[in-house]
Amino acid sequence: MDTDTGIGGKTGQFPSTDLSLLAATHDEFPNQALERIVALYWKPVYRFIRVKFRKSNEDAKDLTQGFFSTALERDFFQKFVSSRAPFRTYLRMAVVRFAANHRAAEMRQKRGGDVEFEPLQEELFAAHSAEDVFEREWRRQLFSLALDDLRAHCRAGGKDLQLRIFEEYDLDRSKHSSYAELAAGLGITEVSVTNHLAWARRMLRALVTDRLREVTSNDGELRHEVRRLWS
Amino acid sequence: MELSDSVVDYLRQVAGLPDLSGTRYELEREIGRGGLGVVYAARDQQLNRRVALKVFDFPMPQEAQLIAQLEHPAIVPIYEAGTLPDGRSFYAMKLVRGTRLDHYLARSPYLAERLRVIGRVAEAIAFAHARGVIHRDLKPQNVMVGEFGEVYVMDWGVDAVAGTPAFRAPESKLDRRSDIYALGILLRFVLPKPQPAALRAIALKAMMPDAGKRYQTVNEFLADIERFQEGLAVEAWTEPLWHRMRRFGSRNGVLLWLFGAYATVKFLLFFLRHL
Repeated sequence: MDTDTGIGGKTGQFPSTDLSLLAATHDEFPNQALERIVALYWKPVYRFIRVKFRKSNEDAKDLTQGFFSTALERDFFQKFVSSRAPFRTYLRMAVVRFAANHRAAEMRQKRGGDVEFEPLQEELFAAHSAEDVFEREWRRQLFSLALDDLRAHCRAGGKDLQLRIFEEYDLDRSKHSSYAELAAGLGITEVSVTNHLAWARRMLRALVTDRLREVTSNDGELRHEVRRLWS
Repeated sequence: MELSDSVVDYLRQVAGLPDLSGTRYELEREIGRGGLGVVYAARDQQLNRRVALKVFDFPMPQEAQLIAQLEHPAIVPIYEAGTLPDGRSFYAMKLVRGTRLDHYLARSPYLAERLRVIGRVAEAIAFAHARGVIHRDLKPQNVMVGEFGEVYVMDWGVDAVAGTPAFRAPESKLDRRSDIYALGILLRFVLPKPQPAALRAIALKAMMPDAGKRYQTVNEFLADIERFQEGLAVEAWTEPLWHRMRRFGSRNGVLLWLFGAYATVKFLLFFLRHL
């Protein structure tokens, strides 16, 4: 089976980028800003290409890498005009254009010969459109990055207990531990469990918003994305 | 390990809910989404009553202050405003039990009842205008009809709300006349088919693309509807002669009947005298 790449996965091997930072100070910190965009969007773009253009793992990786390299070379992100469309839509449309151009170039190379797309072996994608896959992957990546931030924040601030409760109750959904079981296991009261859990969820929400703020160009777009995410 | 779809959905659900810990409210369920926030049904544990909590994604105290100034029977009263432990702002208001106007119309109420609802809505808007507040997002979904016939105008707008496209006036800078435009669309929306020509004309005048050609105040709009209800000519429509005569006939039926009877008697007497 042609499995997905592990690149850009769980822990964002790509650092983060900030579009508002990019707009405001891109002369000073261009790399930081662009890296955060890549961190959030690499995997959604990769999966979008796999489903939309029925590419193999390796081809999709190459195409994704090619897209971001070209985008960075040609200052594609700096050309974004926020009043026309959300950044996410702008980027997705650009991927479609890039992949179409790439396909045309391939066809020319083969002098009009048949181009065989490799069959997509993942039935998971069959039921969803490429746009849905992009959206789901974007949400997954966003939460993955925010969870990394939460873990780092907890470890730095001595909130290991809060993190443990959150991971056991909210992330490890296979156990279905009750508040009472968690409290008994940790030797604390149920009220403490619920308070710690509420704190962690609150932090997660704030960190997700921070991540969104980094890849949106203004307050209006940020509001739009926040509402879209939580609705 | 990659997060599964179910975990992502679960996190969206639990982290998206407002954090009411340490407040007097206990969350029940989501009941709607407005221009800038989500409305939940909740229980006020101190006063043991149900309330509606509107929770904003971003700090938005202006809306609560705005509505708190509007004490009117058709405007939902605000009980309290504040900030939740998660940093989101909220206000608690009366939980209205009733039906949205678009659903209410599905019960096919009489024309008089439809006009009563429009009248209550327009009165609330006129009241707000008198206090310098414009609604900005008037539409059937923002009007509730209570179980005892009371009418509420909900979701009063803030600067950030651009309005719903189908009900939004064409001008870029919204003012009171933009609410009058939305009232016109609302009137046309509630009218049954076939629409009475005079009422359709009132709606069309309120909906003129040029704001200067609309009714300039809500009271003018209301007055024209009242003229229709009283059987008088409306300002928005130059009615044809036959329509004027028919309206005259329906307004003065008794008088016409008495005149007819008088004429008949006079004719009979004249006829008998000359036999």
